[in-house]
Amino acid sequence: MNLSMDVEIGSLRLKNPVMTASGTFGYGEEYAPYVDLNSLGAIVVKGLSWKARSGNPSPRIMETPAGMLNAIGLQNIGVKYFINKKLPFLRNFDIAVIANVYGETVEEYLRVSELLTAAPGVHALEINVSCPNVKKGGVAFGTDPDMVADVSGRVRGITDLPLIVKLSPNVTDITVMAAAAEAAGADGVSLINTLTGMSVDVERRIPHLQNITGGLSGPAIKPVALRMVWQAARTVNIPIIGVGGIMTAADALEFIIAGATAIQVGTANFINPKATMEILAGIRDYMDRHKINIRELVGTLHT
Amino acid sequence: MYTAYVIYNHRLNERDFHLALRLPKEFVQPRPGQFVMVRTAESEGPLLSRPLSVYHFTRLHGHVVLELLYRIVGRGTALFSRWPSGKEVCVLGPLGNGFHIDEKKRNHILIAGGMGIAPITYLAAWLCNRSSDGNRMVFCLGAKNSGEFIGLERLEKIGGQFHISTDDGSLGTCGTVTELLPEILGRCEADAAVLYACGPPGMMKSLASCLPAKVTCQVSVEARMACGVGACLGCAISVLASRKRIVKKSVCRDGPVFDLREICWEDL
Repeated sequence: MNLSMDVEIGSLRLKNPVMTASGTFGYGEEYAPYVDLNSLGAIVVKGLSWKARSGNPSPRIMETPAGMLNAIGLQNIGVKYFINKKLPFLRNFDIAVIANVYGETVEEYLRVSELLTAAPGVHALEINVSCPNVKKGGVAFGTDPDMVADVSGRVRGITDLPLIVKLSPNVTDITVMAAAAEAAGADGVSLINTLTGMSVDVERRIPHLQNITGGLSGPAIKPVALRMVWQAARTVNIPIIGVGGIMTAADALEFIIAGATAIQVGTANFINPKATMEILAGIRDYMDRHKINIRELVGTLHT
Repeated sequence: MYTAYVIYNHRLNERDFHLALRLPKEFVQPRPGQFVMVRTAESEGPLLSRPLSVYHFTRLHGHVVLELLYRIVGRGTALFSRWPSGKEVCVLGPLGNGFHIDEKKRNHILIAGGMGIAPITYLAAWLCNRSSDGNRMVFCLGAKNSGEFIGLERLEKIGGQFHISTDDGSLGTCGTVTELLPEILGRCEADAAVLYACGPPGMMKSLASCLPAKVTCQVSVEARMACGVGACLGCAISVLASRKRIVKKSVCRDGPVFDLREICWEDL
């Protein structure tokens, strides 16, 4: 039986629903020795700003029960360097490249998006309105539905590329944010980004992270992410990309059944560089056992 | 990512352990200064792998043995310390760039503080196997006290000139390893000497401030890491680049070995 794994986010067609989450897979080349990049549904690259950013001081990460805190602070090479030096490598692969866009101001989101739209080999944009580790921009835009709508709508106005908005879980009602993105013309929403958290060294009475707070990721946040995906799926009609603590194929399937059209693997890449490949194989095995296409499985939770 | 099995996991003192792992023969021989990411194969934790320097490597018939040293510094390494023989673990590596070895230099000065002894021992064994008769190795080794002094026997077997210090004077001279250096450097031509160092940040900071400018020194640094391959950017350090710019580099991918003077020690 020939079961199909392909899914669509707006006009973006993915050969399967397994993507890498922004900030956990570099620009692809870091994982090329471990992963057959051609077999991924999409790569979402590390968040790009107009100019290169050096990020936050160290220590930037800390393991916590069933998860990790990070406060990288969007260290990145800048959008022009990405287009000139990193994108050519990715063009060697038959893979959807999704560029994650970050700005301190709405204007910066627009300038970065414009350059990426013109760059051959970028297949979609993911607007990051949810980074908790930067002083300006990021989550400051993602916790106010009017600002989510403003950024999304204005980027929509300048790009023909499929537009995904990555939402923050640090809000009272995720459905309001998802609806704001949808109304502004987004083709999909990714949820969730990290949950803001902290951790303290009691002997020295100092925070484990130099930034004091950081974003929590990993298995610890999966139930929260899953609940938010389920809520958002019942509210909006655009596709949802589920992210948050996906370590195994079973985790990925939970998200799909709860309403996600596609999923992103994040922290799991750090632990097992081949995590995406194993998740893909596990989903394929599930499809064979249940004789079901991915698109038929999305949102089939019995309640 | 390789599946490995614990051969032994010996306690050396209160906090330090010597871990030997059996790996498949496909595991590539590490260069001195390279490291591996290690974690349990099951989900009992820790979640993230821990970066550990290579201490020793032996190729046997059909498999290889990788030896590592670690200190209990948190929950993750505390869990490592309970691994019994036969325990299945996962190893990613070898990773990072090792020490640059200049064959033309005759005086190799190897400096280790505390757990820094692991990569320094592996480097010494490597140099010993490759050096011609004219080369000599000088070791400057330091620890808090004699109880925390580990790995001396193995280094003595490799051979060289030894200078030892402890903070409390319970072994060797009382003081830090960097205090031993001026005298050693005074006895050799600076441009024929090459220094390699690994130790706690305090030791390397004082090295950076006391070494004469013409003496080159490579240091292997440690950092918290999640991925080990340059993706998470968790292990970034500030490094001086051209035109006095300060840039971020990843300890895992750009290091863990750096030029001593390249690192902005005040940020560490």
